[in-house]
Amino acid sequence: MSHLALAGVSFAHPGGRPILDGADVSVPRGSFVLLTGPSGAGKSTLLRLFCRLEEPQAGQVLLDGQPVSGLPPAQLRRRVSYLQQTPAVIPGSVRENLLLPFSFKAASGQERPDDAALTALLDSLAAGDIPLDQEAATLSVGQRQRLCLARSLLTRPEALLLDEPTSALDPESASAVLGAAESFCLDQGGTVVLVSHAEFAPARVAPVAYVLGGGRLGPARPGGGRPS
Amino acid sequence: MSPGVLDIDLWRLSLALVFSLLAGGCSIALKLGLGRDILIGTVRTFAQLFLMGWVLGIVFAVESPWLVLGLFLAMAGAAAHTARGRVRESAVHFAWPMYASMAAVYLVITVTVTGAIVHAEPWWKPQYFLPIGGMVLGNSMNSVAVALDRLFSDLRARAAVVEMRLCLGADAAEASADVVRTAVRAGMIPSINSMMAVGLVSIPGMMTGQILGGSDPSQAIRYQIVVMLMIVGATALGSTLLTLIIRRRCFGPGDRPLLR
Repeated sequence: MSHLALAGVSFAHPGGRPILDGADVSVPRGSFVLLTGPSGAGKSTLLRLFCRLEEPQAGQVLLDGQPVSGLPPAQLRRRVSYLQQTPAVIPGSVRENLLLPFSFKAASGQERPDDAALTALLDSLAAGDIPLDQEAATLSVGQRQRLCLARSLLTRPEALLLDEPTSALDPESASAVLGAAESFCLDQGGTVVLVSHAEFAPARVAPVAYVLGGGRLGPARPGGGRPS
Repeated sequence: MSPGVLDIDLWRLSLALVFSLLAGGCSIALKLGLGRDILIGTVRTFAQLFLMGWVLGIVFAVESPWLVLGLFLAMAGAAAHTARGRVRESAVHFAWPMYASMAAVYLVITVTVTGAIVHAEPWWKPQYFLPIGGMVLGNSMNSVAVALDRLFSDLRARAAVVEMRLCLGADAAEASADVVRTAVRAGMIPSINSMMAVGLVSIPGMMTGQILGGSDPSQAIRYQIVVMLMIVGATALGSTLLTLIIRRRCFGPGDRPLLR
């Protein structure tokens, strides 16, 4: 059974051209999907459909064969974690930002990680040098992106939806973020859907490449053409 | 002539038009372009207040609780309509919940004041109920408009953070809790500030009216204290309740934010 799937999904923003027109896609659990396409094609919208930040006009979005519209939204979004293109932080320290997901009702009963666990997690993202007491607003974009990825991983998701996660990052930060996504896929069996407008070759996983454009979604052809 | 009140006959009332002419003269001299507004405003002031005086005369004479409540609900509708007009948001439909909430909240507050504090007999006695209800509505209308305008603008300005919290497992209330707090604060602050300045800068409206009407100032201040506290309570309750109710309408099914 597929982990994430679209069944006959159509979507258009109000007054806009169709982004998806009866799209069918099946993403097996543990796979690494690379989604490319021209700017404005709707790649981010596709990710947002998976975590119900957008509603399709037709068809169904499925998680483990269940329509996402039937799942409690907070539970869905902890299982399928969407990382925004521009990292968003709250006023407060790095620690407060990392522990933010544990302040919500959906996390009741979950044990909060201690400082050692938080530092170890940041270290795995090549961000172990960021003090937990530092104000998150003072971090660079690259550091913030790693902080946000760490925060998403703390919710123990089954799938990560990464929206242009390296577009504004220096090579070192980009490598750390992509490495963490690969580890999530290879070591934890998680599903990754990564949106990128640029060509990207992961070091350790063989991604399944899709292209979105002109309202159509399909496997990328060798050479980078649009799906038929 | 009422005891203690000097009547203004129509001739002397028309003398007050000198002040409108003065304002119009400023507009013409400085090319402010406000002449038309001053003219319309003056005509509306005369027309609306003469109409209100005529309606109140009938309501005071008939003394029917249904008429009093009907007039109060019409005033609440006008207040809600005015507040709606001051909020610049069209993506969320909130007119009807706003009307219903404002009418319900301010009715309860007005009944509490006339029945329990002023001890009007009966509690709907129009001479007390309508002026007090009008003051509640007039002041709360502004606070509700400020709170809702702030709610909508902050939900748009902070959409990325609200969405980030949703993605980490927050529900709509958790994701927008700080936006709601800021909006309610913005709605409440003017009435709290007015408590700080009352009696120092000017003699407030209700007290002025009572003093002109010949009341003992020691009684007039008691009424004014009740009015000030009533307005703070009404703005707090109105801003909080309406912000919470209308916040819910800013999210679609599945806690999907509608304002971005």
